[in-house]
Amino acid sequence: MRHIRTGVLFGVIAGLLTFLFSGWSVAVMGLFAGVGLGLALESRLDRGSPSNLAKQVLPAALTAGAILLVLSLFQNFVVQPAIGKPSSYGNVFVPANIIGVIAIIALTMITASFRGLEEKWEKRAKMILLAVVAIAFPFIDTFTGLRWTSNVIFALIFVILGLGLNIVVGYAGLLDLGYAAFFAIGAYTTGILSSPQHNIYMNFWLVIWIAAGMAAIWGLMLGAPTLPLRGDYLAIVTLGFGEIIPVLFRNLIDVTINEPLTCWIIPGIQKMFGATSTVACINLVNHMDITAGERGINPIGRPSFFGYEFQSNNPTPWYFLIMAIILLSVFIIQRLHKSRMGRAWMAIREDELAAAQMGIDPIRTKLAAFAMGAAFSGFAGAFYAAYIRGIFPSVFDFSASIIILCVVILGGIGNINGVIVGGLVIMTADRLFLPALKDFLKGLMDFTVLPSLASNPTLQSIVAQNANPILYRFLLFGLTLVIMMAVRPEGLIPSAQMRAELHKDEEVVIDVEDNQKSKAKKG
Amino acid sequence: MKSTLQKFARPVIAIITIYLVLLLGPIAALDIPIIAASIAKNPSQLLQFLIIGLANGAIIAIIALGYTMVYGIIELINFAHGDVYMIGVFTALTTLSLTGTLTSQDPARIGLGIFIALIVSIAVSATLNATIERLAYKRLRNAPRLAPLISAIGMSFIVENIGLIWAGQSWLVPSFGTTGGGSQKEFPDLLSRMFVNMNMDPNLLANTGWGLRFTIKDLLVIVLAGVLMIGLRLFVQRTKLGKAMRATAQNRDAAKMLGIDIDWVITATFLIGGGLAGAAGLMAGLYNNTAWWFMGFRAGLQSFTAAVLGGIGNITGAMLGGFLIGLLAAFSDGYLNARWTNAWVFATLVLILLFRPTGLLGEQTGQKV
Repeated sequence: MRHIRTGVLFGVIAGLLTFLFSGWSVAVMGLFAGVGLGLALESRLDRGSPSNLAKQVLPAALTAGAILLVLSLFQNFVVQPAIGKPSSYGNVFVPANIIGVIAIIALTMITASFRGLEEKWEKRAKMILLAVVAIAFPFIDTFTGLRWTSNVIFALIFVILGLGLNIVVGYAGLLDLGYAAFFAIGAYTTGILSSPQHNIYMNFWLVIWIAAGMAAIWGLMLGAPTLPLRGDYLAIVTLGFGEIIPVLFRNLIDVTINEPLTCWIIPGIQKMFGATSTVACINLVNHMDITAGERGINPIGRPSFFGYEFQSNNPTPWYFLIMAIILLSVFIIQRLHKSRMGRAWMAIREDELAAAQMGIDPIRTKLAAFAMGAAFSGFAGAFYAAYIRGIFPSVFDFSASIIILCVVILGGIGNINGVIVGGLVIMTADRLFLPALKDFLKGLMDFTVLPSLASNPTLQSIVAQNANPILYRFLLFGLTLVIMMAVRPEGLIPSAQMRAELHKDEEVVIDVEDNQKSKAKKG
Repeated sequence: MKSTLQKFARPVIAIITIYLVLLLGPIAALDIPIIAASIAKNPSQLLQFLIIGLANGAIIAIIALGYTMVYGIIELINFAHGDVYMIGVFTALTTLSLTGTLTSQDPARIGLGIFIALIVSIAVSATLNATIERLAYKRLRNAPRLAPLISAIGMSFIVENIGLIWAGQSWLVPSFGTTGGGSQKEFPDLLSRMFVNMNMDPNLLANTGWGLRFTIKDLLVIVLAGVLMIGLRLFVQRTKLGKAMRATAQNRDAAKMLGIDIDWVITATFLIGGGLAGAAGLMAGLYNNTAWWFMGFRAGLQSFTAAVLGGIGNITGAMLGGFLIGLLAAFSDGYLNARWTNAWVFATLVLILLFRPTGLLGEQTGQKV
């Protein structure tokens, strides 16, 4: 019964998403929903023979397929006319539905049957399946003409940012509300080092490391004085830094530095005694435009790979580049997590005092977390700058920090898989589904709702003005945070390893100890 | 050798700091020689900035009271508080619009309209703040410490979005042209209009010949802020509920055992804090003549800084901090550059937290264990 419920959930989500994108989207949704449903069911099954397992999930798979088909038909014959588009009958609709339904059923069963393999092979099979889907995605996307890849690349940028923030928030338990500052530092480092702004054109493959290093150095510089602070004060200080950095980038457009001794102090003293000034003012920097302010830095140099020049109009190579960066990041983070340093982070998160008693230097450990976290957002910033080719200070404000925090919290604090899922869900929702929903609602309004309201022009204009989901973006991010905190603070995919390691019944969110400490103090 | 080094360490660090400020300050518009020259040239300007700073500081101080009271009782940075204040501004604007005050020329009518708007925006903001507590914080009271903070940030986003939608409704927020950005609405300058229509000069110092502006707006804001602060202090010191609040702040469990209804005390705190934010919203609207959905964020951070500067949890401290931050912002706007004001306010916040986390009037407590 539980399996069927999960099947209904995936079928409904996939089916509703086809409302937003007609055409081939049914097939692609079927593919993703099949893999997702299979993975969701797989972890819950008891081990057994693969064919038996496939039989167990058959009802759920069939339910999901049926729901997808029904919703897709409903979309084509009822929804499409309502939003002013023709229903399609021909050579896209039929194959897309057949492929979608078969994909969701078959992939669910195949993925679920992995449970029957040996544990080692089960893991590998899942990895291979995900790798195949990930590699195939841009080609499927090009073939079906859905043009999702460029938006998925944004989601993947936020996945890297989420992975970096996860080190700080998830592993070390430090709430950083100004994480976008490091993203900005990475992006601006890239911008300054490979653009006409200063006539420096460095190679992207070098700049990306410099950007990561620069972000890490800033992480150390900002972290060193602030990390002794307690939880919520640290959050506010990082927020303050997160606000100062964009202000800097916005305003460093006319920098003049005069050496004060020669320009003010010595002439001032001489003037006081009535003498005329004898020293020449040393001007170190004269009216330099470092960051180009609101105009932003562009165009930023693009990477090239063995003679292949990356182009803006073809997102596929960019997709593989960011995938490679993510794989590298996941690898590094997994190693870090299991290293001495990673264990020290978790010890600090659980109980700082106890960890210090065991010989862990809390400040150094936290600093390392800050610097490592910042380095990953440096990577993301460098990629972002090269991909967008232009960077503007308004991208890196407080809301960016909070969106990254949403990614970590929705997915599951402290869990790499959770963060990846969180990043994909939040950013595809933000960049892909909301704009599509906007078009969908606009069609619905123009062809169905507004004509029926013609008798009441005031109401009509109010409805027309507010039926724009883009307006409610912040509301959705805010709701994500509030609801997750209230209902499921451990995230959609809580970290199983952490639970097993710590032998705790309940998922540790950030710092349970802090709360217990304050209670003990009061009690 | 070491003692000699230690003896010289402080002055050397001080000299290096001064040198660095002189060297790098001009990057962030802190160009001391130029500022000194400008003060010497026009000293009365300093007084003018003082007046502006005090009036803005009064508004910041009232918002800061909400932060400090909530933090005092449940140790939570109510991140949505600044946005509750923003909702107060829009409530006031909508009320003034719906009562027809915005277009009225009759001074008595304007006065009555402002009074009604004050009541309504206090009521709406107080209710909103208590609702936020109910929805987002109550069930997290025993959760890990950062959970309610994250929830509060989420609430802040939600309320900001409500403000954004509200600002877009032309039937609620009439457009008298926009100030600055496209989504910024103008809040008509009713107080000056009221005074002009009563054949009085809104500038109270017009006949002194000092070249200063101290308008009826400045007076109203500072007086109202003073009244609210004294009222709040008396309330906390003298009434039974105030006593219950202080008891809850000291020790929630013990207060509960003594029969204090904790839930009601916390709700009351949020109601009072929200009401103060609503009053501040009306005042800020009348004073700065602008309404913007994002104004709560900046005001919230400034007043949080003020609360921390004064010593969080301390009502007198919040007032003092509010005035100081108001002055800092005014001088930064006037002598440095408005573009850098935010950075200077945040820098102040960071410096206070680093060097004196208990604030100016806060008590020095040891590391919490």
